[in-house]
Amino acid sequence: MIEIQQLTKSYNRKVALDQVSITIPTGKIVGLLGPNGAGKTTLIRIINQIITPDSGHIRFFGDLLKPKHLNEVGYLPEERGLYRTMTVEAHALFLGQLKGMNKQEVRVQLDYWMNKFDILSWKTKRIEELSKGMAQKVQFIFTVLHEPKLLILDEPLSGFDPINVEIIKKELLALKEKGTTIILSTHNMKSVEEICDFAYLIAEGKVVASGTVAELQEAKKEGVYAIKFSGNMIAFVNALWTNYELIDKEIIGDNRFITYVKMRGEAGFEELLTALIGQVKLEAAWEVLPSMHDVFVQTIQERKEATNA
Amino acid sequence: MRNLWLIAQREFIEKVKSRSFILTAFFGPILLLAVLFGLFKFSDNGKKHWDVLITDPTGLLERKMLPNQDKAINYFFLEDYVEMETFRDAKMYQKFDALVEINEKVLTNKTAFVFYRQKPSLKLQTKIQYHSERRLEEIMVKRFTKLSIASFRKIKQPLNVAFRNVYDPFDESSDVRGWVGYFYGLLIIGFVFLYGMTILRSVSQEKSNRIIEIVLGSVSPRKLMAGKIIGIGITAIIQLIIWMLLVAIGLFLMREFIFQNNLDLTAMVNVQMTEQVKNTTLLDQLVRGDEQNDFLNLIYERVQFGTMNFYFVLFFLASYLFYGAFFTAIGATAGSESDGQQFIVPILLLLLISAYSGYYCLNNPESDLTYFFQYLPFTAPIVAMVKLAIGYEPGTAFQLYLSLFSLVLGAVISLNIAGRLFNNGVLQFGHRIRLSMIFNWLKRKQ
Repeated sequence: MIEIQQLTKSYNRKVALDQVSITIPTGKIVGLLGPNGAGKTTLIRIINQIITPDSGHIRFFGDLLKPKHLNEVGYLPEERGLYRTMTVEAHALFLGQLKGMNKQEVRVQLDYWMNKFDILSWKTKRIEELSKGMAQKVQFIFTVLHEPKLLILDEPLSGFDPINVEIIKKELLALKEKGTTIILSTHNMKSVEEICDFAYLIAEGKVVASGTVAELQEAKKEGVYAIKFSGNMIAFVNALWTNYELIDKEIIGDNRFITYVKMRGEAGFEELLTALIGQVKLEAAWEVLPSMHDVFVQTIQERKEATNA
Repeated sequence: MRNLWLIAQREFIEKVKSRSFILTAFFGPILLLAVLFGLFKFSDNGKKHWDVLITDPTGLLERKMLPNQDKAINYFFLEDYVEMETFRDAKMYQKFDALVEINEKVLTNKTAFVFYRQKPSLKLQTKIQYHSERRLEEIMVKRFTKLSIASFRKIKQPLNVAFRNVYDPFDESSDVRGWVGYFYGLLIIGFVFLYGMTILRSVSQEKSNRIIEIVLGSVSPRKLMAGKIIGIGITAIIQLIIWMLLVAIGLFLMREFIFQNNLDLTAMVNVQMTEQVKNTTLLDQLVRGDEQNDFLNLIYERVQFGTMNFYFVLFFLASYLFYGAFFTAIGATAGSESDGQQFIVPILLLLLISAYSGYYCLNNPESDLTYFFQYLPFTAPIVAMVKLAIGYEPGTAFQLYLSLFSLVLGAVISLNIAGRLFNNGVLQFGHRIRLSMIFNWLKRKQ
């Protein structure tokens, strides 16, 4: 488990992180979300020991975070760069050895990952000969080469085509299964919904929301239900009491609809269904949860309004 | 420590494999040897024909010098005493290249003075000495002995001919050896600039392609900085060793196969100039030999390459660390590669001032300003090399160690400052450097 406790960091007068506390359970994928300039990169750099906090501390699987732990961290920054004139193998040897591996270990791991991605023939290519997508794949391999206990990925999916996005997602889930703890900093909310167990939303250097993806969605839900039915639309509307408000509808076929209904007052989902049965032919009904994108936008919006007020 | 060496090793391998390293390593010395060859071969030691005025107030030489005219020297006699200052300044004497002073005591103290306007070549010096000595031998034999000239030559004492520059009779300005020191100093400045720029480029390129953030995920900024400076420094030393070896081999080959005649003669003249000129063999050799060349003599006979090279390496290393720290700081603090370029100008100015200080020292080795320059880290390397080449007065060698110490101290301080700027600036991108920003980074812990 990684415990980040009361972390504060300022640059001159600007507070980048303000008393940030985050817990990252072992073997889980944790999303780090926030608008640009929220302090995510500062937090990641502190975990990577590139910069030091003004106050607060980090416990790394029980120990206070120290330079010796760097070998157990894999870091893929958002803006990626490699030494263009080095070959893939020479580069892997350099970065792998920096992480405490010996040459033999690097070679074994490199072959394993390159085989996995079916790119073994790239090993002797110079980085400058690779396309952007190829270089990103290679860089992902360099990040996981030393089998880190903690993997920090800053926008790992950007720049990949949809097929490679799926490959990387699959590998991240496989690494999680093996017990790797992963911090995923991203603006790609769909991937957060798909692979993150937990998410922390940071704004202006503070944690403004946290929890499992479901918890975050739950917190922002607005009592909207979707009803899929076939029948007469007028009959459907007539069946609704004043306790329900039809807020949207989709026509999906001849007399087939998906409608979005918002609860008012004390009325519940079961009462709604009772009112509709017999009026239309119900096909499906479910509670509409906000997407992580909506959660993100709404939370940031609320924070801005609160600050302005 | 392992990571520091990995960084240094990567820098070293990348730089050594680069085309510019290979070109500089091999074409640099070849160019230098070509310049030396040109200087050896074609450097002009002034006029080949000399008009020499002999002031002989007692008429000792009887207006005679040689039985046969020497094509290189015309002697003119004046049976009057001419002061050195008069000879130097009076219009009527300007057509003469040198003044030989034969006073009445010459037969007893065996000393004659030659005042020249432009330093004569060794060959001319030897000829003047030889001619004077021959003539005096004749006079001595005629006046004091019944021996034949040949017998007298076997027992005679040598004539001591002292050559003096009319513009610098007490030899206050540095001699030509100082130029060798100056050249060494310029080499330091050149290499420091070359490899300082390499550090700057390396840091700013890694910043602009963001690899620096990945590397900093494994090593501390200070180790990264140290690794870079060490790696590029090793490259510079390898480059220097290649230069030294190639130049040494080139000089050796030139001595053995091209300038053999000149050098044999030079060595002989050096040994015998102060000794007796016993027979005509030397004159014959002199006449047959190629024209002497001061520069050739300087390089092969007068420079103590061992000492010079030893201190050159020490001063180069300290200067590289001192100035390298500035280049590193610029690379780390610049927001982009082009932003860093404008900050090279002040460093370049410092290097130019340093080069000028060496030239100033060459002409004023004992002035107060030189004294100041030699302890100023910016100018210490070049001034110290010039002074070392000229030679320290007995008891003043401590100045050399003090110069080196001040430079090392300067390097420690500048590396410390650069380290702080590197820590705080290396992960800042896209900005324009402002002085206020630099002060803030200097104050900030990290």
